[in-house]
Amino acid sequence: MIDVNKLCKDYIIKRKGAGLSGALKGLVSRNTDTIHAVKDLSFHIDEGEIVGFIGPNGAGKSTTIKMMSGILTPTSGSVLIDGEDITKHRKEVVRNIGVVFGQRTQLNWDLRLGETFELLKHIYRIPQNDFDNTLNVMDDILGIKELIDKPVRQMSLGQRVKGDLVASMLHSPKVLFLDEPTIGLDVSAKYSLRKFIKEINEVRKTTIVLTTHDLGDIRELCERLIIINHGTMIEDGNLKEITDRIAPYKTLVAEFYDEKAPTHDRCELISREGNVARYRFNKSDITAADIISDLSSIKPLKDVSIEEAGIDDIIKIAYGR
Amino acid sequence: MRKAFDTLGHYLDVTGQEIKMAFMTMIEYPSNIAGWFISNPLQFIMGFAIIKFVVESFGEINGWNYGQLAFLYGLSVISHALSMIFFVQGWFMGWYVIEGDFDRYLTRPLGVMYQFFFTNINIFGLTDLVPGIMVFIYGCMKSGIQVSVMFVFQVIIMLIGATLIRGGIYILLGSTSFHTRSAVDFGQYTQEIMDKTTMYPLSMYPESLQFILTYLIPIGWVSYYPVSSLLGIENGLSGGMTTALITLAVGLLLMCLAGAYFRSGLKKYESAGN
Repeated sequence: MIDVNKLCKDYIIKRKGAGLSGALKGLVSRNTDTIHAVKDLSFHIDEGEIVGFIGPNGAGKSTTIKMMSGILTPTSGSVLIDGEDITKHRKEVVRNIGVVFGQRTQLNWDLRLGETFELLKHIYRIPQNDFDNTLNVMDDILGIKELIDKPVRQMSLGQRVKGDLVASMLHSPKVLFLDEPTIGLDVSAKYSLRKFIKEINEVRKTTIVLTTHDLGDIRELCERLIIINHGTMIEDGNLKEITDRIAPYKTLVAEFYDEKAPTHDRCELISREGNVARYRFNKSDITAADIISDLSSIKPLKDVSIEEAGIDDIIKIAYGR
Repeated sequence: MRKAFDTLGHYLDVTGQEIKMAFMTMIEYPSNIAGWFISNPLQFIMGFAIIKFVVESFGEINGWNYGQLAFLYGLSVISHALSMIFFVQGWFMGWYVIEGDFDRYLTRPLGVMYQFFFTNINIFGLTDLVPGIMVFIYGCMKSGIQVSVMFVFQVIIMLIGATLIRGGIYILLGSTSFHTRSAVDFGQYTQEIMDKTTMYPLSMYPESLQFILTYLIPIGWVSYYPVSSLLGIENGLSGGMTTALITLAVGLLLMCLAGAYFRSGLKKYESAGN
């Protein structure tokens, strides 16, 4: 469905010195820096996948998704959607994509939501039947019909994002790009947005590419993660696979009756706070049960619990590399 | 061929919807309408009153009598109004560039330049059209023009050309923002220059300036050349129709240039970071 081949994007930035003299020198000098925002990125996405793009701020996520949706022109490399190059045949290819960027809207600010939908119906030449059907489906998932007569400027952020999602789905695109769709949303709005993403993926087989910083989005939506940092891909796979590869450990939290927690030669004592000690162990080396029995043979235990490596651990490790 | 007609029909259909929405937006803020309907026509009626005063004091300007000046002024205001309706967004292109507002046009299956100008079609420009037409009709009567089908045809061609020239200049200036990544409001400057050069006969300016305004920045073609040909005033060019067609050609050429420059800018478009 989507083929990204050796995608690169450079930005040229004028180098500026400090203070007024630096600013004046900047006027005449031609010192520029080239920033490689995205470097040689290649991957393939199949029809019906939900792919999460994650990475720290400035990693090149937005730049990549903007090149994939035809907004930015790549410095080199190509993006093929359904076999067609989006840079070369923008007008034809964008028919097959929908785009929602959490921080901006394509809705007409001054008019009721329905007017934007009407305009999109004309732009994408959506037959009235399909238009009504899609709207009914969207109403079932998001309850959009109660918003349709509301002027966009009076909407809450959550309502506006709902409106934008429906607007991007009216022409039944094959691929939906979402750039930080849940940013700034409250818990219930996030919930309905995730439900929406899951449902259109299941019912309409829409391929979904999203960027997010939200761990809940990643946990609940993304079957596949592409982690990028400094413009290059550092991980590609599903959450479990990545976890097993880069964080194949668990943490045993043990509470004793005093502060003198014992060490264990097959796991690492990573912290000691008061009576609570944390032991990190590799799943393949030893089981939690063995550690507990070893520790309790040395000292009486008050309480134990086991923590899996969380998404945030994985992200921290991946980002740190 | 059929595909071309189909595409044209599609664009016209979308345009209809855009215009409908522009009207609805206008009605949404009724207080603005009152303001525009008073201040815009007033601005041009005052402008014309100044010309009337000058002519009455000095007899004529550079051989142009009162009726002819009204004719020139009227047509100039009409093409100004048309360019305000369709192309005024060019003045503000820089804001759209740095705010990343081209994103949504780029992700829709229509021409980006078309969407930029027509999603923001400026219905208020109509308020400039009224004084323009009034002064133009007044000028026709005062300068004793016999209105024939041919004359109307020439005026229409010339107006299309003039509007395209103005629009082309706005687009060329606006598109620089793609390269400079800054938002400069060119509107004020362009408006000043356009007013001073299209509402009076170009022949009253020094020759060097005339040369610039004929060949380098073709503002002379917005009103002076076609109008003087229509009125039969010597301008070094032959008949009215030829001049009207040259005006149209200059307009089309400038639009093509502007379109190419716009597209080259769009390749450099960086959206807005988030």
